[in-house]
Amino acid sequence: MQEQQQTTTIEVGDGAAIPRSSDTGLFSAWWVAFIGTIAMIGYLVIFKPDPYLDIIKFLPDGILVTFQVTIASICLALVLGLVAGLGRISKNRLFNLAASTYIEVIRGIPLLVQLFYIYFALGRIVKVPDLVAAIIAMGFCYGAYMGEVFRAGIKSIDHGQSEASLSLGFNRSQTMRYVVLPQAWRTILPPVGNEFIALLKDTSLVSILAVSDILRRGREFASESFLYFETYTLIALIYLLITLVLSKILSTMEYKLSYYERR
Amino acid sequence: MIKKLILTILLLLAFSGQCLAEKKIVFAVDATWPPMEFLDHDKKLVGFSTDYMTAAAKAAGFTAVFKNVAWDGIFAGLASGKYDAICSSVSITDKRKKAMDFSTPYFKVRQALIVPKASTAKSLEDLKGQKVGGQIGTTGYFAIKAVKGVKPKSYDEVGLAMEDLNVGRIAAVVCDDPVAANYAMDKYKDTLKIAAVIESGDVEYYGIAIKKGNKEVLDLVNKGIEAVKKSGYDKELNKKWIGQ
Repeated sequence: MQEQQQTTTIEVGDGAAIPRSSDTGLFSAWWVAFIGTIAMIGYLVIFKPDPYLDIIKFLPDGILVTFQVTIASICLALVLGLVAGLGRISKNRLFNLAASTYIEVIRGIPLLVQLFYIYFALGRIVKVPDLVAAIIAMGFCYGAYMGEVFRAGIKSIDHGQSEASLSLGFNRSQTMRYVVLPQAWRTILPPVGNEFIALLKDTSLVSILAVSDILRRGREFASESFLYFETYTLIALIYLLITLVLSKILSTMEYKLSYYERR
Repeated sequence: MIKKLILTILLLLAFSGQCLAEKKIVFAVDATWPPMEFLDHDKKLVGFSTDYMTAAAKAAGFTAVFKNVAWDGIFAGLASGKYDAICSSVSITDKRKKAMDFSTPYFKVRQALIVPKASTAKSLEDLKGQKVGGQIGTTGYFAIKAVKGVKPKSYDEVGLAMEDLNVGRIAAVVCDDPVAANYAMDKYKDTLKIAAVIESGDVEYYGIAIKKGNKEVLDLVNKGIEAVKKSGYDKELNKKWIGQ
């Protein structure tokens, strides 16, 4: 009896889907969502300034904190991800084991627990400020996810490329830097973009550390005014607007980088 | 036919059962506020407030059911009818009165300022430019916000603020005085102390928050509170939980 093997690849990102230029369904969905969000926020603020304008005025420093945490932790995550990704394909046993263990451990612990751990548990030993703790936790967590993305991206480059590069006299690190990584980057960008958006959304978790991000500011407003519906509606819309803009930027970048595939 | 008959009987039984039983009032409690309401080692809801309300229920003839709920959102849950009342050290304020009804006051508190042992601060004004923590949406947090120059920091639970103060990330915590006493004289007695009871703040009273317009529950709760006060049981509870 012959067993029939069927392999299907399902591509699912945990972040907001980046619309592909060829995908007109998603493309128009993006416009519907984008215009709808702008229209909603505009309508609420202009025609119902009380309380929506007050809420909007309460949030800007929170938005700033959210961006700070997002950008700092994505930088940390990219560095850690690159190191972890290289470690996973490294022939150096120790480096490989260290990178793999890091990824396994971090991926097995919920982000919320990591945040609590770094802030409150390790807080007894090292006194990290709240923002730094948030950035470290987010960076380490997403670094592990990025590590897998980098590994897959590097692996996707045909082995012939490195063979050719090595035979031309480049050493291993030069091959990685000048030949493999620049090509891998194009494969890596879409999933990294997804992680970026997912990270931005997950920064809402840092409000648990009393970091005054968008969500914490909103909760403070709601707890004092009892306007729960109004506050959380606006907060959801603001997050949506930010992620929609980001996903558009990323899809444009991706389009530019896919020049060779389009030719 | 038989099925229908059984169903009717069952329904009748169910209804009559409900009519015979005492009125059930569900109270939301944020059990992170020792000694007023908290979870003991057996994960049981205990404290001054729950004891008080259980006694009030007995006196007024209703069944008190306590439901552990997170503080942030506790008022939203009341407005949307997830429970009938809040028995969770809710201070009666004018702003809150607009959003909900309150029972007669059952406990008097002030806001206390907790600082590390080594601190010389005697009031919130001494802490200008520094971070002071409180639980989100509490009168303690509002007291911090009212002082210009102090950086307010809101926590989900007062215990997290205390831990941050203990570690040294913030300069002080403001909360209700019985809770402050519990932390500064028991859990963190080696590191923290009560610097002052905030003078600028008014005396506050705890009341049971009840959904606006729910007269039936309000009357029952008030009746219970009156009875407890008359019996003197509240003094006993004071001794038991607060030690005064």
